[in-house]
Amino acid sequence: MVGSPVLFIAIPLLAAFIIPLLGMIWKESVRILPGLVLVYLLTLSINLLGYVLDNGPIIEIIAGWTPPWGINLVFSAFSGFLVTLMLFLGLLVWIYSYRFKRNVDFEPAKKYFILLMMLITGSVGIVLTGDIFNQFVFIEIVGISAYALTAFYTGRDSAEASFKYLIMGSLSAGFLLLAIVILYSQLGTLNMADIARNIHTVKPVYKITALIFFIVGLGIEAEMFPLNGWAPDVYSQAPGPVGAAFAGIVVKSGVYAIIRIVYTIFDIEGAFDFLVIIGLITLLFAETAAIKQIRMKRMLAYSSIGQMGLVLVAFGIGTEAGVFAALFLMFNHAIIKSLLFYAGSYLVFNSKEKYINDVSGLGKSMPITSFLFALGAFAIVGLPPFAGFWSKLYFLIAAADSGMIMIIALILIVSIVEIVYYFRVVNKIYFSKKEAHVVPQRPTFNALFSMIVLGLIVIIIGFFPDLITGILHDASRDLMDKTDYINNVLSITH
Amino acid sequence: MDNSLQYLEIGFYGSAIILILVGLYGALMKKSLIKIVIGLSIIDAGLHLLMISIGYIKNGTAPIFSGEDFVVAGNMVDPVVQALVLTAIVIGFGVTAVALSLVIRLYRHHGTLKIDEIKNLKW
Amino acid sequence: MEMIHLILIIFLGGAVLTYFAGKVNDILRDALFILSILVPAILFFTNVNPESYIDLSIAGFNMKWGITHFGWIFSLIVLGLGVIVSFYAVSFMKGRDKVGSFYFNFILSIGAMLGILLSQDFVSFFIFWEIMTWSSYLMVVYNGNQVQKIGIKYFVFSAVGAYAMLMAIVITHSITGSFLITDLIAVFPQLSNQMHILIPILFLIGFGVKSAMMPLHVWAPGAYSNTPMAYTSVFSGALSKMGVYGMVLIMITLISHIPEGHWFREVIAWMGAFTAVLGTLWAVAQDDAKKLLAYSSVAQLGYIITGVAIGTELAMLSALFLSILHALFKGTLFMAVGAIEKQTGTSNFTEVSGLIRKMPWTFLASLMAIIALAGIPPLGGFVGKWMLYESLINSNHYILVIMIFFSSTAAFLYCYKFLFGFFLGQEEKEWAHVKEAPALMVVPMIILAAGTFILGAYPGLILSPIDAGMQAIGFEATQGHYWEMSVILNQWGDQVVLQPIVYAIFAIFLFFFLFLFFKSRKNTRYVTTKDISSSGEVPLEHENLTFSQNFFQPFLRAVEPVMRRQIDKYYNEFGRGLEAIFDFGRRIYTGNGQTYAIYVIIFVIILLFFKNNLFG
Repeated sequence: MVGSPVLFIAIPLLAAFIIPLLGMIWKESVRILPGLVLVYLLTLSINLLGYVLDNGPIIEIIAGWTPPWGINLVFSAFSGFLVTLMLFLGLLVWIYSYRFKRNVDFEPAKKYFILLMMLITGSVGIVLTGDIFNQFVFIEIVGISAYALTAFYTGRDSAEASFKYLIMGSLSAGFLLLAIVILYSQLGTLNMADIARNIHTVKPVYKITALIFFIVGLGIEAEMFPLNGWAPDVYSQAPGPVGAAFAGIVVKSGVYAIIRIVYTIFDIEGAFDFLVIIGLITLLFAETAAIKQIRMKRMLAYSSIGQMGLVLVAFGIGTEAGVFAALFLMFNHAIIKSLLFYAGSYLVFNSKEKYINDVSGLGKSMPITSFLFALGAFAIVGLPPFAGFWSKLYFLIAAADSGMIMIIALILIVSIVEIVYYFRVVNKIYFSKKEAHVVPQRPTFNALFSMIVLGLIVIIIGFFPDLITGILHDASRDLMDKTDYINNVLSITH
Repeated sequence: MDNSLQYLEIGFYGSAIILILVGLYGALMKKSLIKIVIGLSIIDAGLHLLMISIGYIKNGTAPIFSGEDFVVAGNMVDPVVQALVLTAIVIGFGVTAVALSLVIRLYRHHGTLKIDEIKNLKW
Repeated sequence: MEMIHLILIIFLGGAVLTYFAGKVNDILRDALFILSILVPAILFFTNVNPESYIDLSIAGFNMKWGITHFGWIFSLIVLGLGVIVSFYAVSFMKGRDKVGSFYFNFILSIGAMLGILLSQDFVSFFIFWEIMTWSSYLMVVYNGNQVQKIGIKYFVFSAVGAYAMLMAIVITHSITGSFLITDLIAVFPQLSNQMHILIPILFLIGFGVKSAMMPLHVWAPGAYSNTPMAYTSVFSGALSKMGVYGMVLIMITLISHIPEGHWFREVIAWMGAFTAVLGTLWAVAQDDAKKLLAYSSVAQLGYIITGVAIGTELAMLSALFLSILHALFKGTLFMAVGAIEKQTGTSNFTEVSGLIRKMPWTFLASLMAIIALAGIPPLGGFVGKWMLYESLINSNHYILVIMIFFSSTAAFLYCYKFLFGFFLGQEEKEWAHVKEAPALMVVPMIILAAGTFILGAYPGLILSPIDAGMQAIGFEATQGHYWEMSVILNQWGDQVVLQPIVYAIFAIFLFFFLFLFFKSRKNTRYVTTKDISSSGEVPLEHENLTFSQNFFQPFLRAVEPVMRRQIDKYYNEFGRGLEAIFDFGRRIYTGNGQTYAIYVIIFVIILLFFKNNLFG
C-alpha cells in the first residue's frame, strides 16, 4: 500500500488552513499550494486505485476504533474511481483558475482557493466515508463552501443564488439529520456497513421514512427534481470554473451518497423504481426548461440537471449493466460539462448579461474555444465518435435489457430537445453575424490548457472507449456487491 | 412502565416537534430574510432537542468515565447523540453565519429584505 | 493492419490533414482533398473483396466489418460519385471561405457512408450513420445565417430517424444479445408478433428520414437546396441512398417472411408512390432550380421506395438500378446548377435564360441527365422505369402504376422547365459576359452524364452485380436470371426490344445536336429582339420575351388543392406547440427561494403520503 485514504481528507483540509498563513509570507503560495496538493492527491489516488483493483478495497480506521464503533473510510473500486475523477477535475479547476482574470489579486485568490480546498475536502469525504453522520458533516462542509463560492463575485446577483441554495440546503440538512436519528434510534449505530447488515430488522415504517428523509436530504446535491431550484441560479452566478466544479465534483458526490444509501444501506426494492421515476421527471423538466433559456450558463445548468436525471434513471435500472452505464454517464458528464462550462464562460466572458445571442459569430475570433465548445456540445448530445455516445449507448442497452422500452423512447425524445438547444448555440457561434458590442476575450494559457485536456479526453474516449470501460466494470461490480462491502468493513481489525 | 418517564419523553419529543414546526413556519411563510434565517435556526434547535431526547435515559449519568464509575456504564445517557448534537450545533452556527452575511449582501444589493422582491434569477 | 482499417483511417486522417493544410497552402489542401477520397477508393476497389469479414471488439461490443455483394453496389455509388464530385468541388469551392471545413465534412461524410456499407453490425452501423448525419448537417448550415432553421430541421428529423433506429437496435440487442446483423436475421422469425411489426417500423422511420419518404421528407427540399451544390450532388445522389440501402436491408432480411402483398409492404409502397406524385407536383411549382431538383429528388426516391417495398425480384432490381441512375443524373444536374450558379450568381429560372450558347457543355450534360430523369429512351432512366412498371403490373398494383406513371409524366414538365429556363429562350444582355464553367467542373458532369447513356444501352453492366448481390443476401432466383425477368433485356444485359429503334433515334438525335452545335458556332444568325416582328409592336431592348414566370400556371391551378396541404405547416405548428408547453413547464422555477423551500416540504409530504405505493 502506498498511502492512506485519510490523506484525501486531511491534506486538503490542512491546506485550506495553511493557505492564509503561507500567504502572509509569500503571496504567490496561495495559488501554488492548492495545485501541489491536488497533484499529490491525484497521483496518490491513482496509485491507490491501482492497488485496490488488484487487492480489494482499503478500509481505513480513524482513531483506532474498529467498525462499527469508530469512523472508517472505504477506498474501493467504486469510491476510488469517483475520488480520482473528482481530484482530476479539481486539478483542472485549479489550472483553469490559476490566472483567471478576475482572480489575479491576492485577496480574492486566497479566499477562492481556501473555499475550493474545502469543497474538495467535503466532496471527497462524502465519497470515502463509511459513517452516515460523518457523511452529513462532509455534506455541510461542501454546502458552506459552495454557498460562499457561489457568492464569490459581488457584482452580480450571486448572493441571491447563494441564499436560495442555502435555504434549500439547510432545510434538506435537517431532513438528513432526521433520517440519521431515525436509523440510530432503531439500530444504535451510525456505521453504514453495520446499518446495512441489520437493516432488515427495522420496521418498514421507520425504514421507509428514513429512506425518504435521506432522499430529500441528499437529493439537493444530486439536483433531483423538485429539489433543484437552486441549480440554474447557482451555476449561472458562480464563477465559470466553480460551475464546472459543482457539475463535476459536488453533484457527483451527492449522487454517490444517494446511490450508497439505496444500493448498500437499504434493502427496499421500490427505491430503484423511484429513482427511475424521479430521474425521468428531472430529465423532462430540465431539458424542456433548457430549450427556452436565453442565458448561456443557465442553459448549461439545466442541461446539467437533465444529465443527472439520466444518471439517476440509469442507477434506477438496478442491474450491473445499469450501474456501469450510470458511472460512464457520470464520467462523461463530469468531463464534458466541465468543458462546456469552461469554454462557455469564455465565450460570454465580456457579455454583461451572458446572453446566448452574444456568442454569435465568435467562431472566427475565438477559434479554439469555439471549437471546444462545439466539441462538447456534439459529445454531450451523444454523437459518435465522441465520448458521450458510448455512455448513451450503454445506458440504452441496459434499459432495453430490463425491458424499459417506453422509457427509452421518452429519453430519446428528450435527447432531441437537447440536440435542438445545443445546436442552436453552435450555429450561433459559427454561422451568425457577430454582435457589435461583444468583445472577444482570449482565454488565458492555463484555461486553454485545461480545456484542451478535456477536449482530448472527449475525443480519445470516443475512439477508444476500452480505456475506461475496464475500471468502470470493476467499480460497478464493487457497488453491486453489498455483502462484500459489509464483510470487508466489519471484518477489519487493527 | 413508569408514567413520569413517558410524560417526560412526550414532553421532549413534543416540544422538539413544536420547535421544528415553528421553525418551518418561519422559514416558509415569513417574507423577511432575517426571519427566514431565524426559522432555519429554530428548526435546527428542534432537531437537536429531538436527537438528545433519543439518547436520554431516566436517572442516567453523564457519559464521562471517571475511575470507579466505570461499572455503571450501562446507565449512562447515550454519548454518541450528544457528540452528534455538538457537531450539528457547530455546523448550524456556520450556516447561520454564512446566511446572515448573505442577507447583508442582499440588502445592500436590492435595498430590501423581502424575499419575494429578490428574484432576478428565474425560469 | 487490415485494409478496411487503413481505408477508414485514410478518410479520417485525410479529413483532418486537409483541414489543417488549408491553413498552410491552398494547392496542397486541394490535392490532399482529392487524394483522401481517391486513394481509399482505389484501395477499396482493388483490395477489398466482398463477403470477407474481419471481427473486432470495441468497448465490449463485437463488431464485424466487411462488404456484402449488395453493399458493394452501393459503394460504387458512394465512392464513384465521391471521386468524381471531388474534382468538381475543388473548382467549385475556389475563392470561397470556409473551404477547409467544407472539405473536412465532405471527406468525412464519404468515409462515413462507406463505413455504413462496411459495417455488418448495428453499433458500427449506427456510429457511421451518425457521423454521416452530422457531417452532412455541417454542410447544410455551411451558408450560415439564414439556413440555421433549415439545418436544425434537418438534424432534428435525422435525429428522430436515428433514434428510432437506435431503439430498434437496442431492443434487438435485448432479444438476441448481439449486434450482428446476421444474428438479428437469424432470430427474427422466432420473435413475437409485436416485435415483428415494431422493429421493422422503427428501422423504417430511421431509413425513411434519410431517403425522404413522404411524411418525413420535409427537411429535404430546404437542406438539398441550401447546401453548396458540389456537396448536394453527393447529398442527393449518394447520402439519400443510404436510406435506401438500409431499407432494402430491412425489407429483404427482416420481413422476408412477410409474404409479398403483406399490408406492411403495401403501406410503404403507397407511401413511396405518394412521395413520388407530390414531390413531382411540388417540383413543378418551383422557380428555383435548386428547389426544383430537391423536390425532384424526393419524387425520384419515391419510385425507389415503391420498388423496394413491392419486393419482388424485378421490383428490387429496378429500384436498385434506379438508385444508381439517380445518383448519376441527379449528381449531374446538381453540378450543372452549381456551375450555372457559379457563373451567373443565381439559380433562379426567372432571372437566367438562354445560356445554351454560353455554356454548351453544361447544357449537353444537363440534357442527357434530364432525358435519363424523365425516363425517355434510350437512356438509363427508361430501363429502370420500364422495369418498375413491369414489376408493378406483374404484382397487380395497377393503381400504383397509374400514380407512378402520372408522376413520371408530370416530371416532363419540370424537366422542360429546367432546360428551357436556363438554356433556351432569349439571351439577355445581363448574361452576355457569362462563360462556360472551368473544365474541372464540366468534365465530371460529362462523365456522369455519359454514365446514364452507357447504363441505358448496357444495363447489364450494373444489373448483373446487383443480381449477384441479391442472390447473396438470400433472394432466390425464382424467376430465373435477371435478364429473363424483363422484356427489355437480353442475355448480355442490353436493351433488346427497343434497341434498334433506340439506337436509330439516338443516332439521329446526336447527329442533330452536333450539327446544330457546330453550325451555331459558324453561321447561325443571332436574333436580337428587334428582329422579332410581333404584330406591329416592336418590343424594346430591355423587354424580356422569355416566358419563365408562372410557367405551368393552368396545371398548378388544377392541382392547387393538393399543393396547399403542406405537411410542413403541421410540423411547424407541432413544434411551436411543444415549445409553448416547455415554456409553461419552466415556470415552476419561480425564482423565489422560499417557493423552492416549500417545494422541498411538499416533496417530503408527497413521498410520505405515497410511501407505500412507492417503496412498499
